Amino acid sequence: MANLARRGSSPAGLRRARPADRGPRTEYLAFVLAGDVYAAPVSFVREILKPPPLTPVPRAPHAIMGIVSVRGQLVTVVDLRRRLRLAEPTPTRRARILLADASGGETLGLFVDEVLQVYRLSESEKEPAAAALGGDVAPYIEGIARPSVGSGLAAGGRRSVEGRTDDESHISVVILLDLRAVLGFS
Amino acid sequence: MAESGDRAREEFLSEAQEIVEGLGRDLLALDEGLRASRLDPSLINDVFRAVHTLKGLAGLFGATRMASLSHELEELLDKLRLGKVDLTAGVLDLLFRSVQLYGLILQAEKEGRDQVIPEVDELVRELNRNGGAGVAAAAAAPSRYELDPSLLAVLTEYEEHRLRANIAQGLRLYRLRVQFQLATIDQALDELKAMAKPHGEIITYLPTGAGADADSIELDILMASAVGTEDLRHALASGGVDLEEIPRRAGSSGSSGNTGPSSVRIPQHTPLPASGLGVPSLAPPSRHDEVSHGPKGDLGTLRSVAQTVRVDIHKLDRLMNIVGELSIVRTSMARLVERLRAERIERDLAADVHRLQRTFERHLGAMQQGILEVRMVPLGQVFDKLARVVRQISREADKLVNLVITGAETEVDKLIVEELSDPLMHMMRNAIDHGIETRGEREAVGKPALGTIALNAFQKGNHVVIEIEDDGRGIDTSRLLEASVRRGVISADDARSISRAEILNLIFIPGVSTKSEVSETSGRGVGMDVVKTNIGKLGGVIDVQSEQGIGTKMTVTLPITLAIISALVVLVEDRLFAVPLANVQEAVVLDPAAVRVIDGREVVTLRGSTLQLCRLARLFELETQAKQPTTNGWPSSSGAGAPGSASSDSRPAARPASTRQYVVVTAVGARRLGLVVGTLVGEQDVVIKALGPSLKGVRGFAGASELGDQRIALVIDAPSLVDELHAPGGERVRPMIASRGSHG
Repeated sequence: MANLARRGSSPAGLRRARPADRGPRTEYLAFVLAGDVYAAPVSFVREILKPPPLTPVPRAPHAIMGIVSVRGQLVTVVDLRRRLRLAEPTPTRRARILLADASGGETLGLFVDEVLQVYRLSESEKEPAAAALGGDVAPYIEGIARPSVGSGLAAGGRRSVEGRTDDESHISVVILLDLRAVLGFS
Repeated sequence: MAESGDRAREEFLSEAQEIVEGLGRDLLALDEGLRASRLDPSLINDVFRAVHTLKGLAGLFGATRMASLSHELEELLDKLRLGKVDLTAGVLDLLFRSVQLYGLILQAEKEGRDQVIPEVDELVRELNRNGGAGVAAAAAAPSRYELDPSLLAVLTEYEEHRLRANIAQGLRLYRLRVQFQLATIDQALDELKAMAKPHGEIITYLPTGAGADADSIELDILMASAVGTEDLRHALASGGVDLEEIPRRAGSSGSSGNTGPSSVRIPQHTPLPASGLGVPSLAPPSRHDEVSHGPKGDLGTLRSVAQTVRVDIHKLDRLMNIVGELSIVRTSMARLVERLRAERIERDLAADVHRLQRTFERHLGAMQQGILEVRMVPLGQVFDKLARVVRQISREADKLVNLVITGAETEVDKLIVEELSDPLMHMMRNAIDHGIETRGEREAVGKPALGTIALNAFQKGNHVVIEIEDDGRGIDTSRLLEASVRRGVISADDARSISRAEILNLIFIPGVSTKSEVSETSGRGVGMDVVKTNIGKLGGVIDVQSEQGIGTKMTVTLPITLAIISALVVLVEDRLFAVPLANVQEAVVLDPAAVRVIDGREVVTLRGSTLQLCRLARLFELETQAKQPTTNGWPSSSGAGAPGSASSDSRPAARPASTRQYVVVTAVGARRLGLVVGTLVGEQDVVIKALGPSLKGVRGFAGASELGDQRIALVIDAPSLVDELHAPGGERVRPMIASRGSHG
């Protein structure tokens, strides 16, 4: 379970990233939810897990998939797709759980379809959420980003997204999630 | 550095806490002595010493509020000790209040709050005022005895006071002359004191200056006793004591000395018949005598400190967690060993591993037991607090209450004890405020004016039962029912068919109270819902029995420990659940033909009584999931394929409805519920872990437990399920579980 924050600052990563502008950059972890690419600040993600056996909890809130045991600790797993009211494709072998620290000191697991890579995004690459993204999930969207070539730090080397309609190896639009809003649920 | 400071502070807080608790106990003993008019002066000394220590500690850690309170208390206690102030109920009240305030101060210190606690300042002022009041009448003068003036001259103020007090009681004075070896004088002196204690009080001792040789010393001991010369000589015969009574001067009569303060008296012990063979006839120490004093007492404390270790409960939790993890390893290992043995290869090796596994299991069991034992503390810790509360409340309410405690030595997990004090306190307050009648009322109905509250504790299997029973007026069920209907807790229809036991249980529903009984503090029923919730959080249940005019009995049943429980693991539609064995009465095969529907609820008749059923698969909405496989199961390649795995793998197999099912009969207090489950997997010791805050609102589960292989079973919270399905007029969870329960 690699520490992502550390990986981002490794010399290899720095060599790859040759941004044109020298503004402050934030590292984002990109992942796939229902076929689209989303990203959240790496600083929120403590660990990426292959999904351990999951125990559903009857009568739990809809978006909660169940609980898993991570080294003896119980972790509640939230289905990010369900929370964002997306389609829920059958999980593949690439499904992962992101461990994140939620409000109130709880550690939550966030279920994603696939983890892609880390981007270092400068402010100029981020755009506030378009009005088109409105609706009840709007509070969870921080904005979108169009990462320039070179701002990507490979995470696992896999760049193509399975099942995506466009066949590009370079991802043009990333939806930035406001994890703070996602995690601070009732 | 900050960390070591924190630790020292922790130490300070817990040490102060211990002293304050001891202080409370001593005050209770004093109170008892005061009422029985026999006060043990050494108790006042102990209280004085405790406060003195607290003052020192407070100074060391800059706890100024505690220091100033201790200072004033010390002044008062010093005067008490010296007989300048009489020990009266009023003075005791002040002392009891101080114990309470110490608690407040310690809490504030723990939380790092620095603001002024007004109650403390008030008490300090009162203590100041009280200082001059209640000065004891001048005690009889020692001049009536033929005492050596040189002896009188060297008496300390305290010793002089004790001498006067003893003379005032008309006791005889003796001079004991004893030779001691210098090397063993401390020990020998303590032995002599212990020997003398049942017969009187040693006031002082002085070296005579003489001695048989350089290694020994001769002491003159001044002792007061009610015992005659010959009897005392026999009693102390083994001490090598040369004893002589100090004669009274002519003209002074013993009876005239009896004008002293009647509230301060030494315990009167009947002398034991001395054996003629010179065998020491040591009287068994009376309750108060267990408190040692003098140099030996201090030595004793030092030694006990060296033998005990104060441990942060969280460290024990951590240890317990490790043991829990180890049990999981043990289970996995056992499975591996079984496989190895089944393979029939390397038989010798398999046998060796099996033996090792057994040894490991045994030691792990012993370790678990050991840690559990360390966590155990006697309930007496809470009961002492309760006794103080009873004293305070009964004085406030001007009722005579005798608290009878049994089973204070019963041991319970430390965490449970901590959480118990508030609920028990509340129940105690209710018992006095609303159970016990006023003196007049009691006498009018022919009850003794002195009300009795019994506080009993005993172990019952894996549970501890605590009963609070009063002989008061009992609960007026008709009034309670009326109030419940008025407040819409139950419908008028339900009220007609409700059983007596159910009416009594209404006191646990928020907002129900028999209005006419509400006093300034609380009405019985107000707050009982909180009591029930808190007890429930500890995995306990509370039951109430009451007879009008005869009394009320609250029974709290608690698990001995929360850390590890035995549970029955069951399968419901491929999901694992654990039912705490504490709640399980039995498990039987469900005969589908025997299920009847009464009032919209499914019931079976079991051993002659009706048992309401709860189909867990339906309650937890698992049936539909089994029929239409969910889309969000894990891929089969993720390794969750173990048989009976808790994961909802997407296997489409809906079980045939004809599969045999079982009824797990759970009992919570007097109420029962039959949980219908698929398969009984077996019994297992499990470590319960709490569900995360985001699952807090989910009812029906006490937590979850890892069973090995990363498999997790949800632990059924039987009390909450029983509540949910039995609730009178409560919400129906599913249409099938219609209407309130009417059997109990």
